[in-house]
Amino acid sequence: MHPLLLLLLATAHGLDKLSYKPTLVGGNVEGRMTGSTFVLEQPRCVFDSYSTANIWLVVATREGMDAFNDSAQPGMPEWSFQRFPTNTSAYLTLGAMQYHYGCPKPDRELTVLRVGSETDCADNISVPNCNGPLPGPGPYWVKFLALNGSEPTATTEWSGPITLKTAREPQSIPGTGGARSGAMIAITAILSVLLAILLAALLATLCSSEACGVGSFRPDAASIRRYNTHHVYDQPAARL
Amino acid sequence: MQHEARNKGELCWQVSWEGMAGIDPQGSRRTALAAEEHLSSQLLPYSDRKMCGIALTAECIFFVSDPHGLYPLLEATENNDIYAAAWIGIFVGFALLALSILGIVGVMKSSKTLLLVYIILMLITYAFEMASCITAATHRDFLTPNLFLKQMLERYMKSDTDNNNDKQMTEGVTKTWDNLMLQNQCCGVHGPLDWQEYTSAFRMTHNDADYPWPHNCCVMNTRSEPINLDGCKLGVPGFYNSNGCYDAISGPLNRQAWGVAWFGFAILCWTFCVLLGTMFYWSRIAY
Repeated sequence: MHPLLLLLLATAHGLDKLSYKPTLVGGNVEGRMTGSTFVLEQPRCVFDSYSTANIWLVVATREGMDAFNDSAQPGMPEWSFQRFPTNTSAYLTLGAMQYHYGCPKPDRELTVLRVGSETDCADNISVPNCNGPLPGPGPYWVKFLALNGSEPTATTEWSGPITLKTAREPQSIPGTGGARSGAMIAITAILSVLLAILLAALLATLCSSEACGVGSFRPDAASIRRYNTHHVYDQPAARL
Repeated sequence: MQHEARNKGELCWQVSWEGMAGIDPQGSRRTALAAEEHLSSQLLPYSDRKMCGIALTAECIFFVSDPHGLYPLLEATENNDIYAAAWIGIFVGFALLALSILGIVGVMKSSKTLLLVYIILMLITYAFEMASCITAATHRDFLTPNLFLKQMLERYMKSDTDNNNDKQMTEGVTKTWDNLMLQNQCCGVHGPLDWQEYTSAFRMTHNDADYPWPHNCCVMNTRSEPINLDGCKLGVPGFYNSNGCYDAISGPLNRQAWGVAWFGFAILCWTFCVLLGTMFYWSRIAY
């Protein structure tokens, strides 16, 4: 019922409804959706028969999409970016003459429209058509509107919902510590065992000498200990 | 005179082993020669240890000199113990060098006191080197990608710092990341989308539309300017760096940690054998 009414209204005003649906650019462009911008394909070969028209992009919330009036004028404060989304549910931006979207699409060029790239005019109410950064994650719906002077002559379909990225807090990053690796456990274990063996060997060595008093009463050891190099040829019997 | 006394000392030791060999000139000469050969083979482990000591010192000085400039990142994590392990390695290397000279002197003089001092000092050095190895291996395990990611998001280009220490760490992290991204042509820890997926201190001062990721992630010309800033902001391949910097960080740090840990481990295994041999030799020396 509602779309039928819209269609009647459109034909009544001489507004052509084109079946083109605006889409996001392909996947190899990494910045196609950021926290406050998104990138659309240009509407090439869509408005060929409207060579005198200005092509405008309409960005709207859900309410704006339902309530949008195609007789919107770009300079009007009701459709200005600065009042979006609190005081208005849609705005017009990125106005361009039709010849910018000529057909065919140039082969080796990237033909895109970045919505949200102008940060200078975002607070400047004297620039109501500012292509300012989007204020929230959305979702947003877009469509193109061709205006001949102040008369709308053609419009495309609304796009699908475009929801921007919501960034998480860094505190939510899990597991900044690591698990114990096998190599570290091997090093610790082996070195501890070796140190223990060394200490045990040191104790055994010291105790086998006179320190612990274990072997100190063997007569031959005592005699060897008193063996004096200067008297080698004088006391041969002391060896026994 | 000294040489004569030394020969007699060795002779005495050999005779105490052989026991009833008797004192005859040929026998004593033979045993003296045998003692000389035995002595030089005894000294070989100690000169090997001199080499090990020098090698350990050199390796640890190389790591401490931080050729890749990654120390500020570790300092900011307050987890820079692999550098402490390398510092300990330097001093242990010197100690090994000095003690091996002491060991050589002790063996040549066959002095029980000197060798006992040597053994005890070597055990202390062993304990220090063991601490260094274990520290390097343990703290290497802490260096995960998420650790560096969190640190980058919280500190890179942070503008409101609490105190002097915080300011210094923030500046260190910022400078290190700028250098990393420029020199290695990389962006973020996993990629540029790190800056999109998480809020960060960078995002507080640089809005998302103009700086979806830092401009150091852009491909630069020779004057250090992005060749195409719009292409970089869009994320068009060829105008921005899409790979992450984690490999450029973890590669050098891993090599450092494993270098200190495994080389130290190898030295300690060798030291273990030499120390056991020294203790065995010590227990056989006569005064």
